[in-house]
Amino acid sequence: MTVLETERLTKQFGGLTAVDEVNLNIEQGEGVSLIGPNGAGKSTFINLVTRRLEPTHGEITFQGNSILGLDPHEVVQMGMSKSFQTASIFPELTVKENATIAALAAEHGSFRFNFFRNQNSYPEVEELANEVLESVGLYSERENQADSLDYGNKRRLELGIALAAEPDMLLMDEPTAGMSPDETKSTVELIKRVKQELDLTFLLVEHDMEIVFDISDRIVVLNRGSVIAKGTPDEVQDDPAVQEAYLGGVEE
Amino acid sequence: MSDEPRDATATAAADADAEVTGGLADRWASFRDREISTVLLTVVGVAVFPFLFNNFLDGYTQLATLMLIYGIFAVGFDILLGYTGLLSFGHAVFFGGAAYAAGIFSASVSSSPLLVLLAGTAFAVLLAWIVGFLSLRRGGIYFAILTLTFGQMSFYLAASPLAFLTNGENGFTSVDIGHLLGVIDIHGGVPFPLTMLVDNMLYVFVAVMTVLSVAMANRILHSPYGTVFRAIRENERRAEFVGLDVWRYKLMAFIISAAFAGIAGSLFAIEGNYVPLESLYWTESGRIVIMTVLGGVGSLFGPLFGAGLYLYIENIVSGFPTLGPFWHLILGVVFVVAVVVFPDGIWGGIDYVRDKVAGGEDK
Repeated sequence: MTVLETERLTKQFGGLTAVDEVNLNIEQGEGVSLIGPNGAGKSTFINLVTRRLEPTHGEITFQGNSILGLDPHEVVQMGMSKSFQTASIFPELTVKENATIAALAAEHGSFRFNFFRNQNSYPEVEELANEVLESVGLYSERENQADSLDYGNKRRLELGIALAAEPDMLLMDEPTAGMSPDETKSTVELIKRVKQELDLTFLLVEHDMEIVFDISDRIVVLNRGSVIAKGTPDEVQDDPAVQEAYLGGVEE
Repeated sequence: MSDEPRDATATAAADADAEVTGGLADRWASFRDREISTVLLTVVGVAVFPFLFNNFLDGYTQLATLMLIYGIFAVGFDILLGYTGLLSFGHAVFFGGAAYAAGIFSASVSSSPLLVLLAGTAFAVLLAWIVGFLSLRRGGIYFAILTLTFGQMSFYLAASPLAFLTNGENGFTSVDIGHLLGVIDIHGGVPFPLTMLVDNMLYVFVAVMTVLSVAMANRILHSPYGTVFRAIRENERRAEFVGLDVWRYKLMAFIISAAFAGIAGSLFAIEGNYVPLESLYWTESGRIVIMTVLGGVGSLFGPLFGAGLYLYIENIVSGFPTLGPFWHLILGVVFVVAVVVFPDGIWGGIDYVRDKVAGGEDK
């Protein structure tokens, strides 16, 4: 089953075409990486898919339904979650509260009229929050302020927030950016584990080639807004167009 | 209704006795975290406040009443400013608007205090829905300016085009408040046991409303909304991307804070039997911002203290022999010192001292 599909997706900023007629299919359970040199249009593509930007033309369907015209939170409610490039958390709240917010959105939908109900009357929300914290290994930190976590743990929390929405698909924008080698390694392990456990479909934007080749089932290469290659890691690695554009023609 | 504070005070005392035995700090912590404790603390606070205020701080009951009214306003405003992180510079429109609505309602529909209160609050809520709907389209400074604009617009509307309703610059003078539930004269005295604490029924009425308002605010802040509001304050984009309809929650925060402003505004009209045009002026909006920040944004009780201190300086300190004429300056200095030394306001200062004391005991 196709989870995400874009058809001739295009975004122009004035005279610049940042994303140019991109067709992309992501199947259920597949891990796809989007790579390309700086300015290739990766971030723009992610922003189009998450509905932060309005495409100039083209179509985006998620699980068979068009998501054009929806607000970002509606897309998330449909099952597409996003992990940000920086550790986008709620810094002055506790780790537990961070997870609770995501759990609230997952259990209650985008809006509810319940401002006179005590939060403790929703055990399912608390349960989900605890589950999420356990799965990203932050349960023991739950009473600490999110701010006080080290960077690697902030990113894990961020990933946890994204996972709490119980997404059918997860978009990850450079999940290991700014991490130490150890943190990177444990994050990659984490992603592999949740992918297996949740049968998670993901779209990854990443600069670190080692990670990309390690965890992707398929790779899509963008250059100047267009797809120049797609295929398995091996196919992409050997593609001359990719080597020319991305790897600078130098074989690794 | 007049019995309510007394009964609750007695219960509070009994509760407090029970707490004394063993593990004082722990028991205190668990007591403090319960919803009922917040309500009881407020009951005790408003019950003893006029006595202390009148006898030790040169106060008088009418000012104490006014402090509670602005306290309610500030508690609601803090839900918007402190918890959701939205700075509105036009909340006078809900305070003054509710006061006018309450006054006009009392003069032409019903003089029952409870209905008047309801009418004023309902008006503020409806108005907030419209103003919020339009202002929340923009964030940050644009939101502040838009709310300021709506506030000033209402001031000029009330001053002249709507003068046939509002009595223009003279303020609305025909407020007509009847007896509470048909029997209790709200501007009269209080029956015997209460006389030990307060000297008029109006204070009791406002105090009961204060307790209810604090209880409501506490309930809201401990509901999922409380968490969502703080999430929006901390990281709006993230809140949107966990799948929350941030815009609607912001509108709810705006409406909820306006409802509190509406309660306060209606009480203000009931209290003074008069609605001054200035209650819609932008300085009123500024006052509530200062009160809230002074008291401590992001705390439940802080704004009550902020409102109290502000009005204390404005009304009592201004009457001191030599210092009096400089009360604006004193207020400014207090504000600057509070913000520099205790960025979380008076309540932040109290918290700090309490932590110090508690920490000392542990070691």
